[in-house]
Amino acid sequence: MTLVTHEGRAVDVAPGETVLEALLRVGVNAPHSCRAGNCHSCMHRAIEGAPPPQSQSGLTDAQKAMGYFLPCICRPTTPLTILRPDDLGASLEAIVRAIDPLSDDIVRLRVEAADFAYRPGQFVELSAREDLKRHYSLASHPEEDPFLEMHIRLHQDGRMSRHLAEELHAGDSVHVAGPSGSCFYEGVHTDQPMLLIGAGTGLAPLYGVLRDALRKGHRGPIRLYHGARSRRGLYLSDELQTISNARDNFAYLPCAFDPAAPHGGDVAATALEAEQSISDAAIFLCGGENLVKRLKRELFMRGASLKNIRSDAFTPAVRSAAA
Amino acid sequence: MSSLYERLGGEGAVNAAVELFYRKVLADGRIAHFFDDVDMESQIAKQKAFLTMAFGGPNNYTGADMRNAHKRLVDKGLNDSHVDAVIENLNYTLRDLGVPETAVKEVAAIANSVRDDVLNR
Repeated sequence: MTLVTHEGRAVDVAPGETVLEALLRVGVNAPHSCRAGNCHSCMHRAIEGAPPPQSQSGLTDAQKAMGYFLPCICRPTTPLTILRPDDLGASLEAIVRAIDPLSDDIVRLRVEAADFAYRPGQFVELSAREDLKRHYSLASHPEEDPFLEMHIRLHQDGRMSRHLAEELHAGDSVHVAGPSGSCFYEGVHTDQPMLLIGAGTGLAPLYGVLRDALRKGHRGPIRLYHGARSRRGLYLSDELQTISNARDNFAYLPCAFDPAAPHGGDVAATALEAEQSISDAAIFLCGGENLVKRLKRELFMRGASLKNIRSDAFTPAVRSAAA
Repeated sequence: MSSLYERLGGEGAVNAAVELFYRKVLADGRIAHFFDDVDMESQIAKQKAFLTMAFGGPNNYTGADMRNAHKRLVDKGLNDSHVDAVIENLNYTLRDLGVPETAVKEVAAIANSVRDDVLNR
């Protein structure tokens, strides 16, 4: 018998039995379809213990690094604690260190949480109150920064925005859960070209990924496109320009909406025109849902492998949702 | 005699074919619109499951899954002509990869055998 803990419930997996079979046997309504390790419908994530490598066959390097595996082909021999793929797990207390403006409508929130392990570029769920939770990407680096850094666009009438602008102060307590998301450097080869495209606060995860790549001695060319609605929205441009001046292999390519600029300054159109050889590149796409979907499909059609595309699409908070 | 799946090259052949196949499908104006709102990662995993089955590889195919997966699309007008287009793209994919014509026909026959499940009839 091997013990698997699923959503806090202990389930014994009999010798020769798969995790999916055990979950279904005890009445867990686990999604599944092909039962052959192909369709990924049953995918789960191990947060403690290592799933057998065979049970990660066909997954991307990023998914493997995050502990994802396929219960339908997983016959574990050591204990595992597993979660549904969208479950971020328990939350930790964090203390607000600073809230500073980065542009007209983007603020930088820094919070300190003890022992919060993450990869730069992943996202967390930030709970300011029990009924006020949002996902934000991390721009900080765990080995360089003693805080978690998030870039947050302030929306007029946004509940979290108002809370950040009016109620939250340094020293206050919040909660963070996670991390999650596959936008991180691990799994990229040091000589591989990297193409990073983001809009708005989609720069946050890309900034984390960039710093991690440089820190780990990335040698291939790195091209970062940042799109904004106006020049003032191109936050962190001084920092990125400084890195670009100091490094031969890093190019910073800001794009602000401007009727006089090529493609009107549209970041997706600008990047798609300039980036013609992408079949070997490690590609990171972060920003609004439409932008990410459009770029992913277009780059795939031009020969990029989906395995090499990592993305985070930001979705607006749903007003009525409990989250 | 070795199985169709072995002759094609097993999982490696599926991996070589799946993105090529998906690109052809998305570039085909007859059927591309059925894929507008799907998540590309989960879609490619499903394509892989389908190709593995069509290549005669290990699978636990159930018509029920295929029916459920396409029910919404049948309501939106999915019909025989679209299944024909998918099989045609599958044939082109295999020919691009240098698969012999006899094996192409075998794969097409297996793909064709799930037509009624896809079309929910």
